[in-house]
Amino acid sequence: MKRLISYTDFVNILYELVREEQKLIYFPCRDGHLSNSLINKNLENFTLLNIRTIEPIKLLFFPAKDNLSINSELQQQILVGIKWCDVQAIKVLDKMFLSDYVDEMYKTYREKTLIITADCIQPQQICFCGIVGGKPYVEQKDGISDLNISFVDENNLILESYTSAGEEFLEKYFQNFEQPTKTEEVQRNSNREVANRKIYIFNNEFLKEENEKYYKTLKHSYELDKIWKIESEKCVQCGGCNFICPSCYCFLIREASKSYNEQYRDRVWDVCHFTGYGRVAGGANPRKYKYQRFRNRYQCKFVYRYENFSFYACTGCGRCIEVCPAKIDIRKVIRNLVLAKGEEVLVKK
Amino acid sequence: MSIYSPKNFKIKKIIEETPNIKTFTLEPLNGEKFVFQTGQFIELTVYGVGEAPFTPSSSPYKTETIDVTIMRVGRMTEVLHSMKEGDIVGIRGPYGKGYPVDKFVGKEVLIIGGGVGLAPLRSLLLTLIERINDFKKIILCYGARTPQDIVYKYLFPEWKKINGLEILRSVDKCQPGEWDETVGVVTCLLDKIQVDVKNCVAVVCGPPIMMKFTTLKLVDMKFKPQQIYLSMERNMSCGLGKCGHCQIGSYFICKDGPVFSWEQLKDIPEPFE
Repeated sequence: MKRLISYTDFVNILYELVREEQKLIYFPCRDGHLSNSLINKNLENFTLLNIRTIEPIKLLFFPAKDNLSINSELQQQILVGIKWCDVQAIKVLDKMFLSDYVDEMYKTYREKTLIITADCIQPQQICFCGIVGGKPYVEQKDGISDLNISFVDENNLILESYTSAGEEFLEKYFQNFEQPTKTEEVQRNSNREVANRKIYIFNNEFLKEENEKYYKTLKHSYELDKIWKIESEKCVQCGGCNFICPSCYCFLIREASKSYNEQYRDRVWDVCHFTGYGRVAGGANPRKYKYQRFRNRYQCKFVYRYENFSFYACTGCGRCIEVCPAKIDIRKVIRNLVLAKGEEVLVKK
Repeated sequence: MSIYSPKNFKIKKIIEETPNIKTFTLEPLNGEKFVFQTGQFIELTVYGVGEAPFTPSSSPYKTETIDVTIMRVGRMTEVLHSMKEGDIVGIRGPYGKGYPVDKFVGKEVLIIGGGVGLAPLRSLLLTLIERINDFKKIILCYGARTPQDIVYKYLFPEWKKINGLEILRSVDKCQPGEWDETVGVVTCLLDKIQVDVKNCVAVVCGPPIMMKFTTLKLVDMKFKPQQIYLSMERNMSCGLGKCGHCQIGSYFICKDGPVFSWEQLKDIPEPFE
């Protein structure tokens, strides 16, 4: 189901939802941050025009600190305006937390959240979804999204439901609006193309993923330890890239019970760049050196999870590039490896 | 209660194996049976201190209690070693995939253990002994640092009486007159055994360095990678394939292991250390 609506009407309806129905809405702000209707009742500075928020969306489903008990009072929440890169990240988290053993805490947060995605119409220099197999807009086949917002122009939106929950929402609150015309949809599609092209232009010095290029390069790249040592030299192991990464899921369980009948434990986000991450009692450490841990993060995203899920766990959101105090750019690291691997292969021949 | 919450177990008995290794017999407080497959592991909690993975050393045929043999090596095991019979600990599990015992039927089984690495292998050995006629023969090669560091000293006399089970032991070093078996690292025992490599599986558990050299030696002896089974131990934290700590390549040791064939691991960077 599709509906055409003006930007102002859309924001007004969200505002009504907060005011009249006390709905909890998470939304992107003009300053780039993720806000919500508890701390910002009037949805001031609401925007759909930015790229993804500064904060990774994982913190809604997998908080940085979680006491490992199910929040039974959690109310239905609506997450508005997330982009393809975060949708892809939720796909990774779903695979991690909902397959085999089900993580009930994550499941509860996920089930209580209606996800409204939005097209990304102004990609920035740090965006690179296009070169890791993505695109700056969400389609139904991408999954995760209940309802998507796309742009005819900056003032006119097309709302399109992707799931029955999304359709219900659309029927309930947007039934008075018209369907978009063919012309408007064509205009929307051309906007998507423009954004897509922008991504390629911003990334033209990097190498686009095709034929499993990243996977094949990184799979055996421990043969290229020399390159990894050079690339990781600047890394200060602050863990910023792990924390801000929307698809990094590692956590540490902290045992803090008072006694056996007063159990308490929580979990906090953990970082594979930290020396102690893989260390076992007695001091043995499978990744003792910085370059091994640095390499592990790339291999986790482009090799290991690719082998598990057939898609990369890097979504091209560019948060790690923005956050890095050493200005390490994941795209450059991969480019250098692909090039070095190419040379290596040539030398071997 | 979440998938991360432990159940309470009472310490029923403590055996001091060596100066820094103890075997704890644990009994479920709720009276339930504890069912596991040999080679699977558990997460053991010392309340308020920490949680760590261990593989039971008892037979899976025994379900009223489980035995866990633990070396005092870190913060949590330090406290555990100071605990008394009757104290309460927490257990989650069992987790992971154990030894594929059914695949060993009709074959020679070569078990190679180092130090406290004999713990999971004891569980395997007890399982194999239950159905010893299913296997062509069983050889146990066990190495410890010194004669004092040998675990389950009291069990070896019984095991030596079993038909179809051959036992060889070595110590790295010893005082003169203290030891009349082999002196040297555990791999030197492999030169002394007779095995039909084509119809044999090898099962290895021990410290990383021992696992590495034993694997290399077995490959040298023409064991195929799929004939070598390794009990990988890392810092499995959640035990459920979620927290990431025990990742080894695209595997999670806790979920896809802890028992792996060398075939699965040989192309992964730094499988041991």
